[in-house]
Amino acid sequence: MKKNILIFIVFLLIAFVLPFVLSVYGIDLVSEIFIMAIFAMSLGLIMGYAGMVSLGHAGFFGIGAYTVALLGPHIPNSYLLLFFSICLSGLLALVTGAIFIRTSKFYFLMITLAFGQLLFALAWQLKQWTGGADGMKVSAPLNLGFGEIVSPIGIYSVMAAAFIIVYLLLRFFVESPVGKIVKGIMENEARMSALGYDVRIYKLLTYTFSGALAGFAGSLYGFYNLFVSPDVSSWMFSGQVMMMVIIGGVGTLIGPAIGAGLFIFLQNFISTYTERWPIIMGALLVILVLVGKGGIIHWFALLKSKIFYKKRKNSDDYAPQHVEKEEVVN
Amino acid sequence: MSILKVENINKSFKTLQVLQNVSLEVQPGERHVIIGPNGAGKTTLFNCITNVLPIDSGKIFLEGQEISNMPSSKLVHLGMSRTFQKNNLFGNLTVEENLHLALTATKRYRYQMFHALTKHIDLKKETDEILAQWEISTRRNVKVNNLSYGEQRLLEILLAMASKPKILLLDEPTSGMSPAETAQTAEMIQKLPRTVSILIIEHDMDVVFSIADRITVLHHGEVILSGTPEEVRNNEEVRKIYFGGGAKAHA
Amino acid sequence: MSLSIFSVQLLTGLAYGMLYFMIAAGLTIILGVMNIVNLAHGTLFLLGSYMAFTFMNQQFSFWIALLLSVAVTAVIGIIIEKLFIRQIYGKELEQVLLTFGLAFVIADTAKWIWGTEPQTMAVPALLDSSISIGPMVFPFYRLFVVLIGCLLALLLWYFESKTRIGAIIRAGVDDRAMVSALGINVGVVFTGVFAFGAGLAALSGVLGGPLIGMYTGMESDILVTSLIVVVIGGLGSWKGSFIGAILIGLIETFGKIWFPSLSMLIVFLLMVVVLIIRPQGLFGREVA
Repeated sequence: MKKNILIFIVFLLIAFVLPFVLSVYGIDLVSEIFIMAIFAMSLGLIMGYAGMVSLGHAGFFGIGAYTVALLGPHIPNSYLLLFFSICLSGLLALVTGAIFIRTSKFYFLMITLAFGQLLFALAWQLKQWTGGADGMKVSAPLNLGFGEIVSPIGIYSVMAAAFIIVYLLLRFFVESPVGKIVKGIMENEARMSALGYDVRIYKLLTYTFSGALAGFAGSLYGFYNLFVSPDVSSWMFSGQVMMMVIIGGVGTLIGPAIGAGLFIFLQNFISTYTERWPIIMGALLVILVLVGKGGIIHWFALLKSKIFYKKRKNSDDYAPQHVEKEEVVN
Repeated sequence: MSILKVENINKSFKTLQVLQNVSLEVQPGERHVIIGPNGAGKTTLFNCITNVLPIDSGKIFLEGQEISNMPSSKLVHLGMSRTFQKNNLFGNLTVEENLHLALTATKRYRYQMFHALTKHIDLKKETDEILAQWEISTRRNVKVNNLSYGEQRLLEILLAMASKPKILLLDEPTSGMSPAETAQTAEMIQKLPRTVSILIIEHDMDVVFSIADRITVLHHGEVILSGTPEEVRNNEEVRKIYFGGGAKAHA
Repeated sequence: MSLSIFSVQLLTGLAYGMLYFMIAAGLTIILGVMNIVNLAHGTLFLLGSYMAFTFMNQQFSFWIALLLSVAVTAVIGIIIEKLFIRQIYGKELEQVLLTFGLAFVIADTAKWIWGTEPQTMAVPALLDSSISIGPMVFPFYRLFVVLIGCLLALLLWYFESKTRIGAIIRAGVDDRAMVSALGINVGVVFTGVFAFGAGLAALSGVLGGPLIGMYTGMESDILVTSLIVVVIGGLGSWKGSFIGAILIGLIETFGKIWFPSLSMLIVFLLMVVVLIIRPQGLFGREVA
């Protein structure tokens, strides 16, 4: 516990110092990383703690982003915009989750993908409202009560604060009854049901929470980027954020955030040299799948256990959970 | 009024009739054992009673209330709990975490989303009590996958007991055990309070006759006989099933 | 709507339906036999389409281009299966990510080679006319596509129920170890199935060329549509895909006339309705 508080303080210090050390470009980049980290952690929640693999999570991100874009001109209050984004995406997660969760994991994967693309298609088709494929500008000034925030450092502070809040929220969730129960469900759904848990409700609660968080990330993106296009809902974006989760490590809270940082950094770095970042990204992913063992967090853990061989941390603690369902039939 | 009443249930998988007109009754406090050769349909019967599998026809009553089509998770809250023939535990979690999950299922705070589970004092107290009562407090932080087989079987029963059930369904609690472990388990079952009725599937005849108040014999999905241990021991048909025609008694 | 327009739309809907059937059949068979959701399937469709386009630009006839494209794509399918898929049998999350990565690579490579300008493909001269029955007009090409689709359905039916391989494939789904113990090379079967699926995707792509054209992002569109078809029809069931694809083709075509911006929403809602009534799809198996 003490170690975690220490790490947290170190992180806060770094976060505080960074904007003074980086260029404006760097500050913007880290702001984007914070936003994507929130998004990645929300996906990491359902993947690593509830065992739900969704390829449509960007749909909720898009809802958040477009809510800010569409309502911004009419509702100048930033808090209200954020609130509506969260509520709308959460509500959509609740409704679609209620239908999708009843299905098996293959169907779930495919339907969530289709759902994300549906939102993409809607954003694309409803040109008169959303600007279609060309996207639309966000004219919603970010004002949290201390004046309009337009400077890079200002935006950075807001995003950093949001990230910290979400991380803490997730920490509490994971330690809570629902958090522990949903993890138990991922470990052994049949037994949890036999113990008296209505498994679907817990999955639905987690999915709704996750969708709301993704929507929150999307709304922050609207304020940050000042421009949204249908791509924020596409399944390719969903796949990219899944990549972030995998790179960082499924099954931990901070893993996806680290993965987001690495991914955004790589993306920006490589994109300055070539237009063919998608090919490199795809190839990296393939290599990662074939060679990697559970993401960055895993590698750190392994490295640590090699250096400090006195207290060997069991790498099983972080292993992605593969649940084998046994048919109990005589 | 009986605690559990199974009335003429039928279950088939496509063209294979697995249970045919099966009826049995468990009285409050009773230890009722189900025996029968392999493939008789015993675990299927359990799955049907707990609604893991839907029945084709017939009715099931728990304390007079019909439970035939209720979702299985709800049955726990009505007082019925079960164990599994193959260990069905949370292998990657510790003994303590397993117990936490089992105990929380009937707690009013099981829908809380932001308050730490372990902060609940009653949970800690009850977990400690269970660990102490069965003398496994030292194993509290061991991952279940690292427990001995006998310890796992014990935990299997403890998880089911956590909800303080009125009736406990034990599916072959001594399967795969050494004679010593088997005797230990039989002793444990005998120690269980009479406030809990028990329906057990068992193969080991010594255990059966040391525990049973009543025995139901199942064969090819049909009830051959339901009666006292004496009646079963002396029944011709039962003898034929178990000892006639070179059939081996399976331990 | 006049009868002549109706007949054309009906035929168009059926033709599109057949295209969806071809690609979805490959997807669902791969899923049913190998338990793999091939997210790169849309890009195989794309490859088939673009390759035929290039062949035709090199003065090959439509028919030669069709054969070549399907063959090359099938070979690509073999390579993908042997090089990548083979290593992740049974690991569901890994294969989602792997095929996703491949999809990215293939799609961007296609963009690199062929650019981002939308392209069109000419209807082969042989089929560039129509027959009229009274006021109803039936463009030949669309009739042709429907015919091919039906032939494929027949072929699959025959294969599945009358041949040994069909039985093996059905069994392979249920018990891999057992099938292997019977001396059947499961690896060869899997490679064959994947290549077959890839070939079908390419076939659909080439035949779709004159109807859909080629544009960036079409691999995503077709992937989503085929996934919806698979879900509605039921995992692993090509029969379900047949029904589902025709339904989708018709609804989409007529939906576009009446609700142009919402046709995808309607298709999606259809899927939701099917799932609520039958969570395993129309012909899917009961086990979740």
